[in-house]
Amino acid sequence: MGLQDTLKTLVHKSHLSDVSRHLKHRIEQGLEQRVKLAVTGLSRSGKTVFISALARHLQQSDQGLSLPFFSAAADGRIIGTRDCSHESAIPFPLQTTLAGLQASPPHWPASTDQLSEVKLALRYRRSPGLGRMLGEHTTLYLDLIDYPGEWLLDLPMLEWSFATWCRQQQALFFASPRLEASREWLTCQQQLDWLAPADDTQFQQLAHTFRDLLQQLREPPYCLSLLQPGRLLMPGDLSDSPLLNLFPILTDLPANPDQAAPDSLYSRLKSTYYAYREHAVRPFYEDHFRHFDRQIVLVDCLKTLNRGEACFTDMQQALNTLLHSFHYGHNSLLRRLVRPRISRVLFAATKADHVTANQHHNLDRFLQLLVESAQREIRFEQVETHCLAIASLRATSAAQAKLDGQYLSCLRGHRKDNGEEMALFPGEVPVELPRAEDWNSERFRFVDFAPRPLPVGPLRPEHHIRLDQALEYLLGDLLQ
Amino acid sequence: MNPTPDWKRPVELSPDALTDPDNSDSKPQISPVSAPREIPPALAQDTNDNPPDEVPVRAPARKRSRRWLWGALGVLASTAIGTEVYRLISWSNDIHPLLGAGFAALTFILTCALGIEVHRGLRGNRQLKQVHALQQQAQTLLTQSSHGNSTRLTRQLGRQYHGTVLQRELQSALQQLDSSYNDQEIVQYLDRHALSQADTAARRCVQRYSIESGVLVAFSPWASFDMLLVAWRNLRMLREVAAIYGIASGPLTQGRLLKQVLQNLAFAGASELSLEAGSALLGSSLTASLSARAGQGLGAGLFTARTGLAAIRLCRPLPAQHKESALPRKIAKSIVQQLTARQNDTL
Ligand SMILES: Nc1nc2c(ncn2[C@@H]2O[C@H](COP(=O)(O)OP(=O)(O)O)[C@@H](O)[C@H]2O)c(=O)[nH]1
Ligand SMILES: [Mg+2]
Repeated sequence: MGLQDTLKTLVHKSHLSDVSRHLKHRIEQGLEQRVKLAVTGLSRSGKTVFISALARHLQQSDQGLSLPFFSAAADGRIIGTRDCSHESAIPFPLQTTLAGLQASPPHWPASTDQLSEVKLALRYRRSPGLGRMLGEHTTLYLDLIDYPGEWLLDLPMLEWSFATWCRQQQALFFASPRLEASREWLTCQQQLDWLAPADDTQFQQLAHTFRDLLQQLREPPYCLSLLQPGRLLMPGDLSDSPLLNLFPILTDLPANPDQAAPDSLYSRLKSTYYAYREHAVRPFYEDHFRHFDRQIVLVDCLKTLNRGEACFTDMQQALNTLLHSFHYGHNSLLRRLVRPRISRVLFAATKADHVTANQHHNLDRFLQLLVESAQREIRFEQVETHCLAIASLRATSAAQAKLDGQYLSCLRGHRKDNGEEMALFPGEVPVELPRAEDWNSERFRFVDFAPRPLPVGPLRPEHHIRLDQALEYLLGDLLQ
Repeated sequence: MNPTPDWKRPVELSPDALTDPDNSDSKPQISPVSAPREIPPALAQDTNDNPPDEVPVRAPARKRSRRWLWGALGVLASTAIGTEVYRLISWSNDIHPLLGAGFAALTFILTCALGIEVHRGLRGNRQLKQVHALQQQAQTLLTQSSHGNSTRLTRQLGRQYHGTVLQRELQSALQQLDSSYNDQEIVQYLDRHALSQADTAARRCVQRYSIESGVLVAFSPWASFDMLLVAWRNLRMLREVAAIYGIASGPLTQGRLLKQVLQNLAFAGASELSLEAGSALLGSSLTASLSARAGQGLGAGLFTARTGLAAIRLCRPLPAQHKESALPRKIAKSIVQQLTARQNDTL
């Protein structure tokens, strides 16, 4: 074996190549040639569909057809796009997802159970002007990650001690609607002696009961979002791991914790909590969530309208909580090299194709209502934010029906559950928070639609709603 | 529970209930719904068919006061000329019938040419007015995120530019309007995609004339003819810009346009343009090497550029949204380049 080969293996073994690649990425990021876009959203908010649609449209952006409001593409300045996801150890299954959407009948991607990365390289021509001095052609690398939305809610736990977490959960579980759903669990907890030794089976049984409770809270009729720990709902590679035997203490915490036996429930829970934090949450955060430049927060407003006030407040609280885990602010060059912060945030109401076009503006405003306090916090850091109703993949077409002598705009699409064609006027999106008595089940009917088949060939603007404006807002200034 | 809710109930319809509001012949076909489903094609229609709410457009106040005066003067002048011409023809007819016929033919041809010119001028003037109305409408829509109010604008655009040079690009842009766009987005879309060819051509035209007049002034040996030179180039440019935006241009239109442009410039004051170009040049060492005469040339060039941009603003059916920041700088730079190059040649 030659010296060179030996060196190579040594470098490989010592992860030096990793370091150099990492360094290269950071310098590119510092020079704004590599952008990490955070696609943030609770589960089922449309992250996977957004990422797939974005990648697909960008792949075709050199044709300049489908993104008329994304100026780099509309001006014909994009020369070509390359999918470099294979460089990643965990590539995003773009081909599979697209194949599912292009199949007949097409189907939505399955829910995500793993973290995966998309890396796109956009070669573009600079717009005429001063920037041309830096050379006419250049490349922008765009990194995105897709992950189960449930995991996102674990991030705040990094800053909480076990006691803090338990107190947070107490506040949640002693309020409606969790209180009604979890009465049994609460009485069960009240009968426990936290400091006495407990055996494994009892511990595991309790953990399973709590997991089932979380699952129940996630489903209709509750449809809650702020459910921790997230891995209980979507374990990923941790399934059957002892880390998942975790639940909060919802009764008063023991007054004298030092007297707890080492195998008592209290000690077990506490150590599991910290182990969970270090081994499940921290790697996820450190490896993937620290260095973002831009952020899009996807919010499923229609779910809250369908479900009512409890769902609305819970989602609001979940968003506020999790956005604290990101760093916002402006970047100096040095700052960008060392630790970039998010300098632009777009709040997007997804699935805008579930409402008629004249309601999009109302949807914008409703989203503003939902994220108002989060937006205020971010603006305090002098970071630009904006609200926009988008649909990454349009499943409906606009139509009109004559009803009682009046024209009514409605939607035409296929039901998600049985594939039947349907026409629907889904109700109007309110621009103010409905009062509790207005929030009845008859007011909105946003049904899930099956996707329209995505063409294998060129896409057109009618395949999305405002995806181009979202892109322009998030990346437009970097593609000058 | 609220007995009379102030919201509309959701309705689920059978897809066959979708009906066709049959009013789509006079308007441009906007965003056809592309869904080859099992339902008969007659049922599918698009959503932009809502009868447009009238957009309040304030008509510019007409000045009626002087009209009668001009009218009287016109009648007087045309009677005088008419009688004079009649006398000329009858007099030459007395000399020789052939001479009379010749004069009569000449008069006829001249009258026809004049008539055509007047007709064209009137049409141009009307078009300029229409452009103004369109711009105002678009400006109002740009502040609205309503839906369906822009139907009138798109309809008018399609109709007024039918058969002009803009028709092709405009039509294809109108057809590609998406049903999900609100009024603001429709105007923005059209602004970006319906006029790009015309915009490029107009900008190129302005640039060419600006450089030309700059260089002409800098190198003409007769300083007293500067004004004439610049006026001549400017008038030519106005005509060309108008033609690029599909406005019938004759001397009459040109005159009206010139009047508006000058008004525009006067009100703009020390406009952003001269400031821009000045600041762009101050830093460059190029200005240092310019002679006084070349400086006048630069001034003339920049004046032409200003006129040209004002003309574009007046002729463009939609208000220009992006600021023209690159063009003045580019023009100033190329004038200076040309001037220094020629100066070095002559030295
Ligand atoms: N009509 C429509 N439905 C969408 C869109 N995006 C997402 N959905 C629906 O939302 C579901 C969840 O989307 P997904 O991307 O898997 O959410 P994730 O959990 O955040 O990754 C999908 O199965 C679709 O039913 C969209 O753009 N239009
Ligand atoms: Mg997903």
